[in-house]
Amino acid sequence: MKTSDLIVIGGGLSGFMAAAVAADRGQKVSLLTYGSGSLPLASGAIDFLNAKAPDAAIKNLPDHHPYKKIGAKALDAAAKFFVDVTAQADLPYVGRLSAQIPIVTAVGTLKYSALAPESMDASRLADKKKIFVVEINGLKDFYAKMLADNLKKYFPEKIFEVAKLDLNLLGGRDITCMDAAQILSGNEQILADGLKTLDAGDDDAIIIPPILGLEGNSSRAEVKPQLRAQIFETTCLPPSPPGIRLQRAFIKYLQKSGVRIFENSKVIRAVVDGKKVSGVVVENSVREKIFPAKKIILATGGFYSGGIVMREFDEPREPIFDIPVFFPTGAENWSNKNLFGDAPQGFSMTGIFTDERLRPIDESGKILFENVHVVGANLGGCDKIFERSAGGIAISSAYKAATV
Amino acid sequence: MEKATVVVIGGGATGLGILRDLSMRGVKALLVEKKDLVNGASSRYHGLLHSGGRYAVKDQEAARECIIENQIMRKIGRSCVEPCGGMFTRLDIDDEAYEELWVKGCADSGIEATPITLDEAFRLEPRLSRKHVKSAYLVPDAAVDGFRMSWQLIDSSKRYGGQLKTYTEVIGFDSVNGELRGVKVRDQFTGAQYEIGCDIAVNAAGGWAGFVGKLAGVEIGVQPDKGTLIAFNQRIVNHVVNRLHKSSDGDIFVPHGSITILGTSSMSVPDPEDTSTSREEVESLLKIGEQTFEDLRDFRILRTFAGSRPLYIPPGGAVGRSASRGFAIVDHERDGLKGLFTIVGGKFTTYRLMAEKMCDQICAKLGNKTPCRTAEEPLVEEVAEEDKARAKKFFPSYGVNLAATRLGVDRFKKVVARLEADPESRELVCECENVTRAEVEEICKDDTSFIVNDVRRRTRIGMGTCQGNFCALRAAAVFADMGVEPSAKDSLARLKEFLQGRWKGIRPVLLGRTLRETEMTRAIYELSMNVTGGEPQ
Repeated sequence: MKTSDLIVIGGGLSGFMAAAVAADRGQKVSLLTYGSGSLPLASGAIDFLNAKAPDAAIKNLPDHHPYKKIGAKALDAAAKFFVDVTAQADLPYVGRLSAQIPIVTAVGTLKYSALAPESMDASRLADKKKIFVVEINGLKDFYAKMLADNLKKYFPEKIFEVAKLDLNLLGGRDITCMDAAQILSGNEQILADGLKTLDAGDDDAIIIPPILGLEGNSSRAEVKPQLRAQIFETTCLPPSPPGIRLQRAFIKYLQKSGVRIFENSKVIRAVVDGKKVSGVVVENSVREKIFPAKKIILATGGFYSGGIVMREFDEPREPIFDIPVFFPTGAENWSNKNLFGDAPQGFSMTGIFTDERLRPIDESGKILFENVHVVGANLGGCDKIFERSAGGIAISSAYKAATV
Repeated sequence: MEKATVVVIGGGATGLGILRDLSMRGVKALLVEKKDLVNGASSRYHGLLHSGGRYAVKDQEAARECIIENQIMRKIGRSCVEPCGGMFTRLDIDDEAYEELWVKGCADSGIEATPITLDEAFRLEPRLSRKHVKSAYLVPDAAVDGFRMSWQLIDSSKRYGGQLKTYTEVIGFDSVNGELRGVKVRDQFTGAQYEIGCDIAVNAAGGWAGFVGKLAGVEIGVQPDKGTLIAFNQRIVNHVVNRLHKSSDGDIFVPHGSITILGTSSMSVPDPEDTSTSREEVESLLKIGEQTFEDLRDFRILRTFAGSRPLYIPPGGAVGRSASRGFAIVDHERDGLKGLFTIVGGKFTTYRLMAEKMCDQICAKLGNKTPCRTAEEPLVEEVAEEDKARAKKFFPSYGVNLAATRLGVDRFKKVVARLEADPESRELVCECENVTRAEVEEICKDDTSFIVNDVRRRTRIGMGTCQGNFCALRAAAVFADMGVEPSAKDSLARLKEFLQGRWKGIRPVLLGRTLRETEMTRAIYELSMNVTGGEPQ
């Protein structure tokens, strides 16, 4: 096995991003993935922070926050790179760090993201006269009436109409948004024809579940020009087509950039040489194999993806390098009484602490490995779900780690 | 004024058993429950249908009652009982002398306890600790679904004219010259207060019996005793596995369908509403549990929950583990209130017997000579195989039986007809428990379905592997459409409430793979759905 300039461990958003950035800079990159990553679960939008202007708000975060290590420059560059990569893969994203884009969710709330797929950008919803909320016969997880009732709270003066289209999707089993997106891919005309029957005008909006295909913007490009009204896709329960589109867009970009992707490759330990890691050991169904590398990026995720595990209380671990994990001790600090509350959840702040170059450090601040960098949900010190920073931390930490 | 001959207070297994028994004897009875049915110890327990083995040494009267009722339950509640059998295992750290006492106790109580070799024990229960287990016996324990049995009790009672009102709290008693005239109640939703006239009232409020007694000015020796349990997401055991030692915490594993419940702790609490659980209790149960099953921590925990046993404490009696698991009936005529009875103590396994004894006394007062038939007549008719065959086109066969027995003959027929006619109603609202939209909508129409959690308890949505991750949204939407209470329209609040209810049981077990599930819940509902909503700060 030849030595890679960079090995990225993890096939989620941060792993893809890191590999893409490094490859773009001419490095020889190997990406080791195990499982499907968490993108198929994700909304598809990239949240940076729950603030009107994320770039300004980031300045006020505490010093241990990952954004403080990443720095404003990398944040900005990451956002630009992300928009560029997705555009090249025909999945246009809109947005910038100084503002937030509203997106309609499947339950009819608005969510705000710095970067959003063009198909979900609901900025212009406020200018519309009439809003059609369209459910599809047999498609589960999308309840137009509930959505409209909740969305009315944001737009009390607008006219809402709930409609139902029969696209003949019903078969022997439940149809999810992903199924519908797959069926409609290359078959968009039935949806376009159905939506035309609504007779929605130039000033109207049509809200649909995210079923415009699983590859880039092609399905939307078929439907959009046929309608006078603007169509908006919502978020949905997993599996989420916008998340899958993003996953596929990255894979397309990585393949084009010469990144070698090794699927079903579970990294079990590192080959350590003093303060450097010279490679990682992968276990697959056949045998163990060493992948040598000059530099490693750890993007295995948090508790959800198994990048951090905890078998017994107060004993969270990072299983590959055994890097010390920061966590709040004791039952009281571990979680809040309310699942959805006004404070971060302690367990979600669990993760690895790093220096400014995102290298893992121990309690005393000592750098543990010179050439290992930690990104995305592996990073500790903030509740990325509570503060709506998961996507932003993923891509900006990846950008930084790939460029230092 | 609304009238009944007997008002039964408390919608647990005992109260429902009494309602059924009285109704079958032709007595006009009405049950009132301040919350939803089976909200107390009747659902917050391990679901063990005792063989009596657990009481064979200390309390042989309770043991004998158990083995008799165990046989009756299997007959009248066939679809509620999983006849998995039970095993008692003695570990190396347990007292050998106790084994002898126990074997003799079982024989004396009429419980068949068959010794088996260790090889046989490990064959039957492969996960048992090879290191610690020293001897094993088979007993006729079984698993019983407290929810299902209760729904069937209601259907049976209604067939005989029994009535019930949920979310109706007793707030006082009306009596003239020491003779009961009626029960004063309050509707929990509207706040309306009114009286239900009756000749007799039965306080079957379980852990709450003391509070109800106070309303009538009578003292009742009931001590709520909190028991905490853990539900695992896998079937770790094939049998009910008990420790063969003096009964203690964390020494029973009960398999239910695809899960296993480990129980139980025992702690006197002042308030039966205290169903809190803590990391310490969980840790203590796990520590004891892993003596019998060493790899216990490798299994994903679904949640933890707690309920309060309504232990009866006669004046000067023992509390906690030493308190009797027997039951007591008090005729409050002795306290100067003719017409009020209290029944306390006991356990789920013997609820029918308790109801029978209670109803014998009531009927004696009323001059009703109809004998009790609750031990002979099955709770509900069996769902016809033909209806099940029709249903099999729309769900996996595993789901058919579950749905059939939770819905009962009539509702199941309606649901199957709906599934046949309306393809959209086949949507699985809950994949984990195989609950279709047709079923959820049918249960929403029921006269005891007021809030989403009522529908959850009836249908089991949100109670399986995903703990509401996927069905919370669907349930909130369906309920916003179907719910009778105006609050149902606030779908976001109901959705959050539903997940918060699940969170209560997840929080103390937030480790291992449970952490993954929780991160998924939060990613879906906070990131993708922004249920915490609003404008950015």
